Amino acid sequence: MDKQQIEQGVVKVVCQVLNVDPGMVQPESNFVFDLGAESVQSVELVAGFEEEFGIEMDEDAALSVETVGMAVEFITKVCKEQGVEVEE
Amino acid sequence: MARLTKYSTDEGPGDYPRDRIFRPKSIAVMGVTPTPGTVPYDIFHNILSSGYTGVLYPVAPGKRAISSVRAYRYLTDIEDDVDLAVIVFPAAVCERALTMCGQKGVKGVIVISAGFREVGPEGAEREQRIRDICKDYDISLIGPNCLGVINTDPEIRLNASFARKMPAEGRIAFLSQSGALGTAVLDYARAKNIGFSKFISFGNKAGVTEIGLLDYLYKDDKTDVILLYLEELRDGRGLIEEAKRITRGPNAKPILAIKAGRTPQGADAASSHTGSLAGEDAICEAVFREAGIIRVGSIEDLFDTALLLANQPMPSGDRVAIITNAGGPGVMATDAAVSVGLEMARFAPETTDRLRAALPAAANVKNPVDVIGDAPCGRYEAALEAVLADPEVDQVLVILTPQSMTDIDAIARGIVRIHAGSDKPLACSFMGACDVQSGIDILQAAHIPHYILPEWACAAMAGVQRIRRWRDTPLVPFQPLAVDQSAARAVIDPAPSGYLPEDQALAVLAAYGLPVPPHRLCRSLEETVAFADQLGYPVVLRVVSPHIIHKFELKGVALDLADADAVAAAYEAMIANIGKVMPAAEICGVLVRPMIPPGREVILGAKRDPVFGPTLMFGVGGVFVEVFRDVTFGLAPIDAGTASRMVRGIRSIDVLRGARGTEAADLAGIEGCLRRVGQLVSDFERIAELDVNPLIAGPAERGCAVADVRIRLE
Repeated sequence: MDKQQIEQGVVKVVCQVLNVDPGMVQPESNFVFDLGAESVQSVELVAGFEEEFGIEMDEDAALSVETVGMAVEFITKVCKEQGVEVEE
Repeated sequence: MARLTKYSTDEGPGDYPRDRIFRPKSIAVMGVTPTPGTVPYDIFHNILSSGYTGVLYPVAPGKRAISSVRAYRYLTDIEDDVDLAVIVFPAAVCERALTMCGQKGVKGVIVISAGFREVGPEGAEREQRIRDICKDYDISLIGPNCLGVINTDPEIRLNASFARKMPAEGRIAFLSQSGALGTAVLDYARAKNIGFSKFISFGNKAGVTEIGLLDYLYKDDKTDVILLYLEELRDGRGLIEEAKRITRGPNAKPILAIKAGRTPQGADAASSHTGSLAGEDAICEAVFREAGIIRVGSIEDLFDTALLLANQPMPSGDRVAIITNAGGPGVMATDAAVSVGLEMARFAPETTDRLRAALPAAANVKNPVDVIGDAPCGRYEAALEAVLADPEVDQVLVILTPQSMTDIDAIARGIVRIHAGSDKPLACSFMGACDVQSGIDILQAAHIPHYILPEWACAAMAGVQRIRRWRDTPLVPFQPLAVDQSAARAVIDPAPSGYLPEDQALAVLAAYGLPVPPHRLCRSLEETVAFADQLGYPVVLRVVSPHIIHKFELKGVALDLADADAVAAAYEAMIANIGKVMPAAEICGVLVRPMIPPGREVILGAKRDPVFGPTLMFGVGGVFVEVFRDVTFGLAPIDAGTASRMVRGIRSIDVLRGARGTEAADLAGIEGCLRRVGQLVSDFERIAELDVNPLIAGPAERGCAVADVRIRLE
């Protein structure tokens, strides 16, 4: 899996959970301010990312992620820690 | 860009900045979500369903519409001007939301969200950042961490809050620092048919504070009475200044307040009597008193008094007439009236004649008027008409107990009819719960306040009485007294931090005109005896050491020494004892002064409070002041009126006035001393704590004398 695939996976999950158009989802997009995530949806996002990438995320750390770009970086780091191969 | 640090208070109502908050023509709710039962949705829904007369925009990223209203991704996407933004986003994105408000030109903002100062240092920093943004963009901010605001004016009809229902329209405004209490109060008020003009929950008050809101409500022609629930007072002096303006004068509006948090703060750490007694709550009490704010103990008391104020004219005096159809409640009401400071009216002879003519022979035609248990409507009407016409009556309380023959509704209608057009306030107590309810409804529909128990009516009348007395008390502008400030400065400026030696502390008091007895710091036995001879006997010796604060405990005080031999023996014993129990103490000498004749022992204290600045305390009891806790407080400096209220406000004032044949103490002298201490601590910021304890107050011809003093410098 490469970084671009992670980005695409993040966008896919975000669009599914938040029901937004892919065009709205940019690296700098804030989940709450730009994409309208409710608190319950933040939990759903974490679950969606875990399922999409086959990883387990620390919930507190995951919920502190504010933007799409930060989510990509966070998931990349977790994937590497949990033995999922990521090409730079 | 212009920065506002304090809003002007003399703007006209049309261009008043806070009209953007309370009378907005358009509102954007930022952070709306489509899930009912959540704060973001409910706020939007409440504005929509309350019948708001302006234009409402939901800002809901990713949503096409909320409740069928077109939604916007960003505030800046809205084409039209927005007067008020209600931010319900989580705290983490509030800064960005506020910045967008500034860019859009929004001048009124309510931040409902929690997660600021109330959650700790990180939240406090976030709050400071939103405060800075508001200053940069000239935004009037309510909140954060608040319930929102309500304006019942039919021209606006705004419920920008998460209170379930819009309250009825009324003449009472409620300001609440607590959001949760606010919802409970609204619910309680609805059950009692109490209407509001405005309801404002101001939360952490990062922008507009209670002082700015009081100013707004003073100018609000829909508000007659202001209720305030406060948890934390940050600017006591500012509140006094503002509230004095509001509660007096021709357009005066009463302010009733509940201040939560009666636990004294910092008392354990304080080393002086004043420091241990001058907790935050005690000082708040003083602030409210000086501001003319009537402090009450409960929500019930708050509304009981407010109902009377909002619905009835102000009485012209303290005299109350009671009309009842049952003796017991009449007696209870009389007791209650007298105990809260009301006066039972003594009827004019014409009134008694009218009552005698209209009532049966068994009736009591004196106050309380008893129209007897079988009274029909006509008896109540005749009695009420007679007492309302009596120039010796200032206000009336009508009591009814439901007997089998009592026509409750007819009596209620009769009371309303007779009272119509009267300029005297009326309160009623139809005692009971079920049978009397329809009568109560008739009274309340006619804006006649009703209380289940006559005692509650009397308590409300007492609250009104306090307001009237405050308005009638002339304000005396502060006039500095003649003092020798440079002499005090010569002592204080070079002194190190800590306690001033007693001789220096006395010199400071003397420079400010306090009655300090003649004294000298003597450094040898010979000098001590010689000065005692010069003064004449009896005398007092007091050890002076920077290391000895509590002199009595170390036998560092010798009283009532009758001759030179006694002085010499006391001197040697004192020096020897201190050398034994506290060998490291540096002894500067022994202060010699005359023995002050007996009098009443009082304490004058001062403490520099980090929030309120220099505060003053007056009390009785000398060294037992903390046992009696009979003290009053004021913010220094004080004028003559405040000094008088402080001194005469203690519970045991009659002891000072000369109870049981004892001589009256020099009250005017005490008040003068208190003013001088107030001026001293105001002039010198280095004075952290000061106790004149005791000041011995003799009769007026002998006056007062300082017996002991401690001054701690920072």
